[in-house]
Amino acid sequence: MVEAIDLHKDYKIGKVLFPALRGIDIKIANGEFTAIAGPSGSGKTTLLNIIGCLDVPTKGKILIDGTNVNELGSKDKANLRKNKIGFVFQTFNLIPVLTAYENIEIPLILLDVEQGKRKQKIVELLEEVGLGEYIDRRPNEMSGGQQQRVAIARALVKEPSMVLADEPTANLDSTTAKEILALMQELNGKHGTTFIFSTHDQLVMDYSRRTVSLRDGKIVDDKTKPRGH
Amino acid sequence: MKIVNIAWRNVFRHTRRTIITAAAISVGLSSMIFMNTMMNGADKMASRNIIDFETSHMEIFAEGYYREEGVFPLDTIVENVAFVVDEVTKIAGVKEITRRVKFQASISDGIDELPVLGMGVDIENDNRIFRIRESVVAGTYLQGEGDVLIGENLASDMALDVGSYITIITKDRNGTYNAYDLTVTGIINTGHPLFDRNMAIIPITQAQDLLALGPGVTEICVLASDENRLEPLKARISQAIGNDYEVLTWKEMNAAIFEISGFKRAGQFMIALVVVIIAAVGIVNTMLMAVMERIPEIGTLKAMGFSNTGIVKMFIYEGGIIGIFGSLLGCLFGLLVSMYLVHVGLDFSSVFENMDIVYPMKFIIKGEIDYLNLLFVFLFGVFVSVVVSLWPVRRATRLEAVDALRHV
Ligand SMILES: Nc1ncnc2c1ncn2[C@@H]1O[C@H](COP(=O)(O)OP(=O)(O)OP(=O)(O)O)[C@@H](O)[C@H]1O
Ligand SMILES: [Mg+2]
Repeated sequence: MVEAIDLHKDYKIGKVLFPALRGIDIKIANGEFTAIAGPSGSGKTTLLNIIGCLDVPTKGKILIDGTNVNELGSKDKANLRKNKIGFVFQTFNLIPVLTAYENIEIPLILLDVEQGKRKQKIVELLEEVGLGEYIDRRPNEMSGGQQQRVAIARALVKEPSMVLADEPTANLDSTTAKEILALMQELNGKHGTTFIFSTHDQLVMDYSRRTVSLRDGKIVDDKTKPRGH
Repeated sequence: MKIVNIAWRNVFRHTRRTIITAAAISVGLSSMIFMNTMMNGADKMASRNIIDFETSHMEIFAEGYYREEGVFPLDTIVENVAFVVDEVTKIAGVKEITRRVKFQASISDGIDELPVLGMGVDIENDNRIFRIRESVVAGTYLQGEGDVLIGENLASDMALDVGSYITIITKDRNGTYNAYDLTVTGIINTGHPLFDRNMAIIPITQAQDLLALGPGVTEICVLASDENRLEPLKARISQAIGNDYEVLTWKEMNAAIFEISGFKRAGQFMIALVVVIIAAVGIVNTMLMAVMERIPEIGTLKAMGFSNTGIVKMFIYEGGIIGIFGSLLGCLFGLLVSMYLVHVGLDFSSVFENMDIVYPMKFIIKGEIDYLNLLFVFLFGVFVSVVVSLWPVRRATRLEAVDALRHV
């Protein structure tokens, strides 16, 4: 469960303070598949970064499973990310010198998972995202869609309680984007992992059950489709 | 452990950085090793020359004589030679003993006159300690009075040959000038410039005669059975012969030369430092570039749960692994070059030909490998490459994860 209480974020541009988030209150339950929608500059990335403990709010609180993240030191935040949060980026952010397999392996190495177990998990997950044969490819030997699948596998491999995806489909064509969304939806159903992703793409919103709309750093709409839609 | 794995992989994937950095380290280290081998070789040769031709392990003088070093005063000499020889011969640890007389003189071939250092040697005993007889390259060693040995360079300077006649001119201890006619019986090549350029060696009896010394000598040379334990032997000798005499080891007498050698070592250290700084600047640069282009990667790793410490560790391991490779390579290369120096040596003849150098050695310098230095240099290389990779990564970790991620 993620809870934001009166979240504010001001960016300093020169001497001027620019409010990117202006009082966000939101609760996202475990297992939700939630889109944060809104036009460019509305604060989506800022919100996701704060939820993911990559950035700190100027004011307000973030509670992850009841823990006030603001009170954690940088080491504890790193640990929280290591154990609970998976990230998927718009630009994929795979490590260029590593193969698909090795990229997915890093979170497991960090968690001290032993080698045999690592291998089993990675191979399984690569099959699941449909990249069984791409195990030894480097990022520059894969298409954008394939890279994003690897990135999703990397985010999921440690079985985090939530995956934060900032515009995961923005760099993909619509067919590939649909495939990726379908994949995320499938994994959400299968593993019960919370997915929070940002988008300004109607297509993405169609896939999500809940859509939170941001505008100028405020929530202007929060819709949940009835089940079975 | 786990981070080491990642670092290890990175080292082999970022080949360009690895090669440039390792090459810089290995060039730096091998030149340090090279210089050290040379210096050691030069010092060892110098020490050998001093012991084998000039001073033996230690010398006994009349008290006060040595303080006027270079003047060769004939009024403070060892008068009671029999007493000293008797006493010293009895002391344990004394292997050989011989007498010498040194004096200022000049030699003339009838046209030119050149100042030289005259030396009277005990024809029987001198060769038990010194290697002058082995250094005769033409003619023979001294046979008796009237013979003189001169160095190869002096011979060629004065156009002398075996059988040539020269006159030796000197002032005896009473201040009277004396001249003797001598026959060049042999020409020596010792590798010690003093002996090869400036020395006229005659039988000691003749020198004593020439200088009116009676049985007196300027010095008594002592060869020890253990050259690593000279200080205790020196103490025993001093005690046996008393305060009228002064005992000095070859090291004490050549402090100036080893001071020069100290300077050279300081110089060597400076050169090494410059080489290392250049290498380090190269490494910092490559590392900085490597870190810069990996800032988004650092952001991604942080997002995945790497702490700053973890990132720093990863780069330190990378630097360390590269350092170990570069240092191994450098030591190996340095060792190869050193082996060449040990077996073949470097010929400096042309450099020193027209120089009046006092450093007592041959112009072909043979190396001497110092394995402890090799180990030190290796560790130093690893240390430098770790330290040098620390600074760029500290800069990178100062960025917040968000900013690192935005950095494209
Ligand atoms: N590091 C920063 N420094 C200054 N201003 C920033 C910074 N990051 C974001 N902003 C500003 O904060 C506001 C919100 O930015 P944010 O990136 O969260 O928007 P977004 O909704 O993700 O937009 P997009 O859809 O274009 O990615 C924008 O006006 C942006 O200019
Ligand atoms: Mg954004």
